[in-house]
Amino acid sequence: MKFIPRQPREGINVSDTHPLVEAGTLIVGLTAIFICIALLLIFLVEIALYFVPVEKEVAMFENWLPEDLVTVSPGDERLHQTQILVDRLAFHWADAPYEFRVEIDDSDIANAMALPGGLIIVTEGLLDQVESENELAFVLGHELGHFRNRDHLRALGRGIVLSLFFAATMSNDVSSISLSVTDLTLRGFSRKQESRADEFGLALVYTHYGHVNEASRLFEKWDDDDSTMLDVVSYTSTHPDAGDRVESLKEQALREGWPVEGVITELKW
Amino acid sequence: MDSGFLQTLEAILNFGLPIFLLLLAYFVGTMLERRHFRSIRNRESEFAQFPVVTFDTMPADWTATSSTLVTGSVVVSLDYFKRVIAGLRAIVGGRIKTYEPLLDRARREAMLRMIEEARRDGYDAVFNVRLETSRLANSSGEGKRTAGVEMLAFGTAVKFTSRFARTS
Amino acid sequence: MEISNTDSIPGRTIVQFYGVVTGNTVRAKHIGRDIMAGLKNIVGGELVGYTELLQDSRNEATERMIQQAQSMGANAVVNVRFATSSIAQGAAELFAYGTAVRVE
Repeated sequence: MKFIPRQPREGINVSDTHPLVEAGTLIVGLTAIFICIALLLIFLVEIALYFVPVEKEVAMFENWLPEDLVTVSPGDERLHQTQILVDRLAFHWADAPYEFRVEIDDSDIANAMALPGGLIIVTEGLLDQVESENELAFVLGHELGHFRNRDHLRALGRGIVLSLFFAATMSNDVSSISLSVTDLTLRGFSRKQESRADEFGLALVYTHYGHVNEASRLFEKWDDDDSTMLDVVSYTSTHPDAGDRVESLKEQALREGWPVEGVITELKW
Repeated sequence: MDSGFLQTLEAILNFGLPIFLLLLAYFVGTMLERRHFRSIRNRESEFAQFPVVTFDTMPADWTATSSTLVTGSVVVSLDYFKRVIAGLRAIVGGRIKTYEPLLDRARREAMLRMIEEARRDGYDAVFNVRLETSRLANSSGEGKRTAGVEMLAFGTAVKFTSRFARTS
Repeated sequence: MEISNTDSIPGRTIVQFYGVVTGNTVRAKHIGRDIMAGLKNIVGGELVGYTELLQDSRNEATERMIQQAQSMGANAVVNVRFATSSIAQGAAELFAYGTAVRVE
């Protein structure tokens, strides 16, 4: 037999789909699927919440504290006064199902959290920033609003959904991207929860004091400090933009006919 | 409060960084790949006259005086862009088209290196060519991450008795 | 196009040979097959999903090899060999190669 040198045609073992086109299709397609699955899981979390009544939750978390919590001393006057304020505000909530406990976190960052079992945590940083009892009352009322909507349990559900996605997309490189996409979707719902808690908080403040003066002062302060707020940032954060929150509260007061002027109550420490 | 700045930074890092790396990997990778393919095509036409076959017995008209084993191998790495696309593909399944040019040029490069070794040592043809692929795993991540792919080509190179026995 | 894994087509003689032809394809399995395989690992038995997947890939790789041979003007491929290897987590490369020849 004779050897005749010949070469095969170029490109048989290579597909002619442009890699960017393939990348684009995959990314867009999978993002859409991820968002749908995230929405579905959120829906399932809602259904699950329906089956965990408050009594069971209270029984499970009765004396629970987060592990890494550093609290101020139990004799602290601020703790005492804040607990009194919470009890007074909760009094206005007709069938409050929880016995609310207050703890103060020894942290400089201003924050307040609603945790399972009726636990409210405020940080030292927050207490340093409030200048009147009305402001603090609004913050606490906001947290009570979370309890009413059972948002604290939803936050747990959100954490579980995120870990599920992280585990499901097994390749390391893809996990971080899928995590970001899912997280964004879930943060949209988080912002809505915050708005509803704001509304409940303001209602409690009005019922307790007879007016809503100074309630939104904290947000106004944050809005002023934030000179770098871009629209993209408020879209990606878990809370609505501070300026928007102030606007919503003003609108609510106007709508309900609540007076925005009134005597400010001093902090009792 | 500078939380706004931190949040902007977080948003940029969460999205911007992977996208930036992806695009960088894509553009640089494509450029290097095209250059490699050009080099491969040039060398293939240069070596076109050199017989390379997978027969495991020599053609009858080859009379060999000496023979040896020759090999050519190359290790190629998977760039970030390809890995991400493959990761996405592993969810829905199907052909991973981004890997195909990579493996194609790895294989052709390995064959060319084998031919170069044979020619350099004065041989006239290679037969019983075999090709093997293996995956090199990263030592971190429990060996799950692929560090690269090795393509090996090996065969038996022969020298002919006379220079005219090759092509007739 | 005739293919064989011996060095000649039975009953024919090779008159010309042109060179090595290859065909390869890289496939990923989707998550469904992965999960089924995980379950099968408990009870044992054939992983039908994987078998089908690799068989399809092998056919495709062979097809590509034949296309290369055709573009060289060959009418047969001899000494065909296959290779399977794992390229990345969840992806496998299927490989077919042989020598393109003209038989009569």
